[in-house]
Amino acid sequence: MNKILALMKKDFKLLFRDKMAVFFTFVFPLVFAFIFGSIFSGDGGGSKALKVAVVDLDQTEQSKAFVEQISEADEFTVTLSTEEKAKDLVRRGKRVAYFILPKGFGEDYKGVFAGSPPEVLVGIDPSRKAEAGYLEGSLMKLGINRFEQAFSDPTAMTEQLDASIAQIQDNDDIPEEWKSLLNDYLPKMKELTAQEIGSGEGFGFGGEEGAENPMMPLKVTKQEEVVKRSGPQNAFAITIPQGVIWAIMGCVIGFAISIVQEKTLGTMSRLIVAPISRTQIVAGKALGCFVAQIAVVTLLFVVAYFILGVRFNLPKLMLAAVASGICFVGLMMFFASLAKTERSVAGITNAFLLMMGMVGGAMIPLFVMPGWMQAISNFSPVKWAIVAFEGAIWRDFSYGEMMTPVLILIAIGVVAFILGTRMVKLEQA
Amino acid sequence: MIQVNALNKRFGSIHAVKDISLEIPAGQIFGLLGPNGAGKSTSISIMTGLIGCDSGSVTLDGLNPQSKKARLKIGLIPQSIALYEELSALDNLSFFASLYDIPKKKISEKMEWALDFVGLSDRANDRVSQFSGGMKRRLNLAASILHDPDYIFMDEPTAGVDPQSRNKLFENVLKLKELGKTVIYTTHYMEEAQKLCDKVGIIDHGQLLALGTVDELLSRYGGDTKVSISSEQGVKHFESGDVSKDLIEALKNSNKVYDISMNRPDLETVFLNLTGRQLRD
Repeated sequence: MNKILALMKKDFKLLFRDKMAVFFTFVFPLVFAFIFGSIFSGDGGGSKALKVAVVDLDQTEQSKAFVEQISEADEFTVTLSTEEKAKDLVRRGKRVAYFILPKGFGEDYKGVFAGSPPEVLVGIDPSRKAEAGYLEGSLMKLGINRFEQAFSDPTAMTEQLDASIAQIQDNDDIPEEWKSLLNDYLPKMKELTAQEIGSGEGFGFGGEEGAENPMMPLKVTKQEEVVKRSGPQNAFAITIPQGVIWAIMGCVIGFAISIVQEKTLGTMSRLIVAPISRTQIVAGKALGCFVAQIAVVTLLFVVAYFILGVRFNLPKLMLAAVASGICFVGLMMFFASLAKTERSVAGITNAFLLMMGMVGGAMIPLFVMPGWMQAISNFSPVKWAIVAFEGAIWRDFSYGEMMTPVLILIAIGVVAFILGTRMVKLEQA
Repeated sequence: MIQVNALNKRFGSIHAVKDISLEIPAGQIFGLLGPNGAGKSTSISIMTGLIGCDSGSVTLDGLNPQSKKARLKIGLIPQSIALYEELSALDNLSFFASLYDIPKKKISEKMEWALDFVGLSDRANDRVSQFSGGMKRRLNLAASILHDPDYIFMDEPTAGVDPQSRNKLFENVLKLKELGKTVIYTTHYMEEAQKLCDKVGIIDHGQLLALGTVDELLSRYGGDTKVSISSEQGVKHFESGDVSKDLIEALKNSNKVYDISMNRPDLETVFLNLTGRQLRD
């Protein structure tokens, strides 16, 4: 085992002495994941409007007008929906939140001085705290409009006052001294409104705190609507597996070349003449390639977790990493067996892996590929590696579901490794 | 002792080694000479266990060269610079030492000795890529003797080396002999073999054409000495098998001798007489 480790250590030293190899193995995949992740996540100055679903259960003139206000607001992109569909859209992560205007919204909307403020039910995932605060603030801003309407439109104000006087009469919850005060005040206010018609100055507005204070613009009631994590959390959740594939491909090419290079340099002769078996030589190379892959996967996912906010299931991720490691070690050995010179092994490996990468989703995400291309991608080990990593990140695979890509990867790796070790001629040509 | 019996090796239609048999006693420097493609490297590869043979046998002290015990006795200096250019001299030696069963405590000592032996102690931490061709050749030797092998196979070790490094390598080879090692040396340079080797084998087209000490080969295949005498009577050329006798006789008949020159046969003459003067590409 010491000799195998010595071979691996030597290959690592050589890898880290080669700046280009380090760049393409460790840095390029990160750059790839970051750049494409940023592009896909739309952080380049695109629209910031939040996609919301709106449900109008009240269907009154006021509720319809409020829906229209929401639709016209820059802060929102609105989809009108039913309650059930709206909840489903939020749960599937298709919309950030839903707004439900319940029955009675219009009635409350009219009452400025009495009754309850109009209620809006907001359904949002509890983890989206920042968006929740933003949504509440934006809704409040729209809610203030009802006061502006009330105070700037004397006719509407007169109607509001009539409605409020009627509500006070019917409401037993209001203390008698308040009732008496308001019964004295509101008719005078109505009189004043009549005098102020045409002045255009309005009456100003000042609200008091308190949940049931009618002077509140809106009563926003939040409902937790936990999103089912069946889609990517963000664009990096898609580009990180792609970056990982590029890094793995870098390892495969590097180690396949190193085997051929040992032959052309003559160092392989030294290894064969030394008291070390052929199996140990092959195992040293395979272990080096495997550990390099695991190292690069670890690095990328540490960066993904702490910097890019990508979340994953660690045991499943480890399963994916080990399976893809086995697969690509096998392919590395197979490629090394096909060529006699560094140039030819680089050419063969690059051509094969680029082709497999293209159809396997290393460049274009699998789910945006046309159907025929997705069918072809089944023949690419890159596809199964990406599926395995995505299964651990956002596809929410069960262990049973993980087994499909994992077993395919291991099978490819074992077959390629057996073929490679049988075909590879360690002796110098 | 190395014993080679009726060795044969084919690569497709090419019969690279044909029925070679020889014995190399321990403690000798044995030169294996031959033109390009003669079968020298193939023979060395079989003797070191790098490749197998189709028929015949090779033993080192009675051991199969591919056995682990025999491998511990073999030091191979390949024809190419078999080193990792991006690693330092010390890193290279450390790696190759780790492949042999050298106790960890002794590895540093062995590396120091090997570097000192080839005169590279002061460049131990430099990358091999920064070395001259001669330094690389010397380090190539150091990497092969770390584990103190009994049999050292040197496949054209002086190719592309400057005179100073070549001289140092000659010193190293002679020193290895002093240390009781057996050196098997292949080269194109006849003067190297003549200077270093106790015994020489000349090989061509996979066949061993001649085997013996340099003097034996000279007397068997070198031909007569060419003698020229310049005197008042003019220049007289003749070939002689017994120069002392023939020269005295010739001088008796010459007045006022201006110059005498002799062209004695050397190993190159033997080599060309045996392998011909046709170009080998």
